[in-house]
Amino acid sequence: MGIKPLLTKDFATENLKQLAVYEKTGGYTGFKKALEMQPDALVDLVKASGLRGRGGAGFPTGNKWSFLPKGMYPRYLVCNADESEPGCFKDRYLMENSPHQVLEGILIASYAIGCNLAFIYIRGEYLPQTEALEAAIDEARQAGYLGKNVLGKGYDLDVILHRGAGAYICGEETAMLTSLEGYRGEPRLKPPFPAVKGLYGKPTVVNNVETVCNLPHIVLNGADWFKAIGTPTGSGTRLWCMSGHVNRPGNYEMENGTPIRELIEEHGGGVWKNRKLKAFQPGGASMMVLLPEHLDVGLDFDAIAKAGSLAGAGAMVVMDETTCMVDAARRYVKFFEHESCGKCTPCREGTYWMANIFDRFEGGEAKVGDIDLLLDIGYNIDGRSFCPLGDASTWFPRSVIKFFRDEFQEHISEKGCPFKKSVQEAVA
Amino acid sequence: MATVQTDQVTLTVNGQSVTVPKGTLILDAAKKVGIDIPIFCSHPKMAPVAVCRMCLVEVEKMPKLQPACAVYVAEGMVVKTTTEQVNKYQKGVLEFLLINHPLDCPICDKGGECPLQDQTYQYGPGASRYQFDKAHFDKSVPLSDKIVLDRERCILCWRCTRFSEEISGERELALIQRGVHTIIGTFNDEPAQSAYQGNWTEICPVGALTSRQYRFISRPWDLDRTPSVCPGCSMGCNIQIDARNNKIGRFQSRENVAVDDSWLCDFGRYSFPNFQRQSQERPRIRRGGRLEDVSYDEAIAFTVDGLKRAGGQAAGWASPADTNEELLLFRRLFRDVLRSPHLDHRSATVVDAEPGDMTLSIADIERLEHVVLLGGQEVIDAAPVLHLRLFKSQRKGVTVLKVGAGQVAEAVAGVSPDCTAVGILATEANKAAAVDLQTKLQRKIKGSVRRLIVTTGPNGRGAKDLGILPHLGPGYVALNGQAGTGRTEWPGAGLRALYVHESSPLHGFTPTDAESMWLPTVPLLVFHRFKPSPLDEMAHVILPGHAFTEKDGTVTNMEGRVQRIRKGIDAAWVREDWLVFQEIANQLGASWSYESVGQITSDLVRGLPPYMAVNQEARVLWSERP
Repeated sequence: MGIKPLLTKDFATENLKQLAVYEKTGGYTGFKKALEMQPDALVDLVKASGLRGRGGAGFPTGNKWSFLPKGMYPRYLVCNADESEPGCFKDRYLMENSPHQVLEGILIASYAIGCNLAFIYIRGEYLPQTEALEAAIDEARQAGYLGKNVLGKGYDLDVILHRGAGAYICGEETAMLTSLEGYRGEPRLKPPFPAVKGLYGKPTVVNNVETVCNLPHIVLNGADWFKAIGTPTGSGTRLWCMSGHVNRPGNYEMENGTPIRELIEEHGGGVWKNRKLKAFQPGGASMMVLLPEHLDVGLDFDAIAKAGSLAGAGAMVVMDETTCMVDAARRYVKFFEHESCGKCTPCREGTYWMANIFDRFEGGEAKVGDIDLLLDIGYNIDGRSFCPLGDASTWFPRSVIKFFRDEFQEHISEKGCPFKKSVQEAVA
Repeated sequence: MATVQTDQVTLTVNGQSVTVPKGTLILDAAKKVGIDIPIFCSHPKMAPVAVCRMCLVEVEKMPKLQPACAVYVAEGMVVKTTTEQVNKYQKGVLEFLLINHPLDCPICDKGGECPLQDQTYQYGPGASRYQFDKAHFDKSVPLSDKIVLDRERCILCWRCTRFSEEISGERELALIQRGVHTIIGTFNDEPAQSAYQGNWTEICPVGALTSRQYRFISRPWDLDRTPSVCPGCSMGCNIQIDARNNKIGRFQSRENVAVDDSWLCDFGRYSFPNFQRQSQERPRIRRGGRLEDVSYDEAIAFTVDGLKRAGGQAAGWASPADTNEELLLFRRLFRDVLRSPHLDHRSATVVDAEPGDMTLSIADIERLEHVVLLGGQEVIDAAPVLHLRLFKSQRKGVTVLKVGAGQVAEAVAGVSPDCTAVGILATEANKAAAVDLQTKLQRKIKGSVRRLIVTTGPNGRGAKDLGILPHLGPGYVALNGQAGTGRTEWPGAGLRALYVHESSPLHGFTPTDAESMWLPTVPLLVFHRFKPSPLDEMAHVILPGHAFTEKDGTVTNMEGRVQRIRKGIDAAWVREDWLVFQEIANQLGASWSYESVGQITSDLVRGLPPYMAVNQEARVLWSERP
């Protein structure tokens, strides 16, 4: 347990971005080995490794691949690099430090599923990362890793890099495919699932950047090696993006199952300014808040879910004792209100309404029934909206009400934010 | 024993067992046992989108509520639509929909027939807990010269944008912006060009899209609704005449899947002001160069007198908008009573009509492999709703080939020899080319080739079937040397009287240059019509008649489907057109004794057995040969 650099082990190497340097660290040997294997064997290997998707939902990657209907071609791989969850910055770290590792993962996944054209949908704001990937794709093409007859093995593959236009919803896989096709970024009705009818109506696999980065290592070292890392249901490591009121924010690649306490207190250097920990939020903006009592929960999909939150996209937002939880929830709700695509009623109208109520809390005009009203609005959104964006908009605020209801009540009785007041008093 | 393969699925909805074909939506399965699930975005003619989230229901073994409009039934499925959870959620989603809806129902055209209003009453909360300013948007945005959009009322159900994409294929309306700021609009706010915009207003489940012509005209409960047929063209789209205080407020669509598939074109829909009577006028006759008001009896006597003198030299022009019943009497008045063969309903000389012109039905276009539109856009212009059928067919995989009327060779080349079913659509003007193409295709391909000729006027087909032609009798029988002259030959034919009967200004008698020179020389010009027109200036007798929208009867569309039109507006002071014909005939020596339109219809069917189809609203089939 603890820090376990797997994907990031060579990140200290100078010029790792360059193909020659990457190859020197063992780069593309995983892909070369994969090319010697039958695609089906690769799918079985990834299944056996227990690799779960790192984009947020934690779905087993090998299973996802095997859902593609047999004999239906062309099929596409889309690498989801639209990292847009507030609090997450792991994919950019992977792309800017080792773009070839991302590319090698895409190559392996494409070969495994029988895809000849892969796409990377990258967040529009990620300009340096786009440039790094572009350069890597050019280098790989020149070196024969991409193009017709890859490495003389009779396999064709090309990669298209597509920049998003800055919508959070386009991180949702079907909205991403719709956007990639040139339409408004809006989620699609499921079923049919992308595996059957995805990009341009063809069978499609969508894998996160971090997910594909694991593939070269699994191919090189085997499923058993990978399974030995982490927990029984959570093989491998994850990059945790630590931010907030912590002394050393940043990306930490941790073995799955490591206690959250170790991440925050040891590696993060604990809560800043010698303050006490009030709460933390794993997963990203969508996920439920956890309390100091949950510090011994392991960094693992299932353990965090059992504790009442979700590991999501691997964010770890630390909040100290001076944090106004109502204001924290307000900021997240406003984010979702801003990012709601407007397709379905509960999310479009519900987030707008919640945002209005939260403004009222911070503005000192909240009414006695407002807490229950928020819960009720949340009830009418969660599980009712078209895609998980709507559901997720309610998780953080509802969990905050659950644990910090008294803070909401204080906002009502004191006609404003007690935390801001105390800060103002301290300043005065 | 062989297992029985079944395509049926049995499920229960609120405890009631229902068996439906595989691929049925929960919504439709529930409807089958009389269980209504509220919807906004769902529309039977469009693919499910499940965006409004109104129809969520409980399905056992599924953790979340499921959209009934988008989830297909499965064997053994247990659906519940009235549980506490569903009821609470329905209140919730309606509350959501209303937080930014202006609730200006008292001044909204949709009020009283608004799904949002109705479902709020049925399923919604009594009051809203929303205490903030509503999001404000532009109101009364002119989308075109026909439609006004109120963006505050819009609930973003996507029906209009989907119509634009899936039904008309024009992609003119789109969603702009996102989240609560989402609006409907056209590209760059340019005026919408579609010829099918009226349909947007009908499918809009709120008062966001309204017709300019109907704006603030009536409340729905004040309307008298009469089922009828559109007077616009030979398509025969079914309509409902909505009138208030005996004034037409609008034409609404009335679904007939075989004809209009529930849509109307704007030309037909917005043609109703043409049928609005401006004044109560009386019959007039010309005395000393001036028209003076007289009684019907006097005007009829004057007409009879002139016709008697003209005898076989009298010509009759009946409009292709007249009913079959009127046409029957009109023909008998000329052929049997006056013994005149000079009958016509056309405005120009066109190739003879024949039963083979309608071997293809409108609905069958969807079941073809290949359709040739001979004359391209001109065919669509002649019957605009055909475009919607063609687009629907295209989406089903039918190849639509649009060629110019002169491009028969190109059309032949465009159809592959192994084609199993080909259809040809053309206007009357291009019939010869259509027949030529049909012959050539028949030689080239192994499958069937059928044609459908788009006739002129809502009853141009009926006029041909009934023999309102100078050279053919009813049922396309030859006249054996008794043929008369057609309209284009009349100037200079030495005629002594002309009787013009029209029911619609859309398909009226518009004189050509030659006719304008000739008409003043005709000793008797009888003009039997419902509304003043320039021809009045030349007429010797003006007989006020009923408009298409003011009478009962039947009309036959381009494919030979006989449909009833009904009196949507009452003009009781105007003598029924058929009664005038009967009066004239009887004074000329006949002894007709019809007491109702229905009796004429029965006579029509007796004399022309294929018209039995009228009783089934089916197609008149003259022959079985393709």
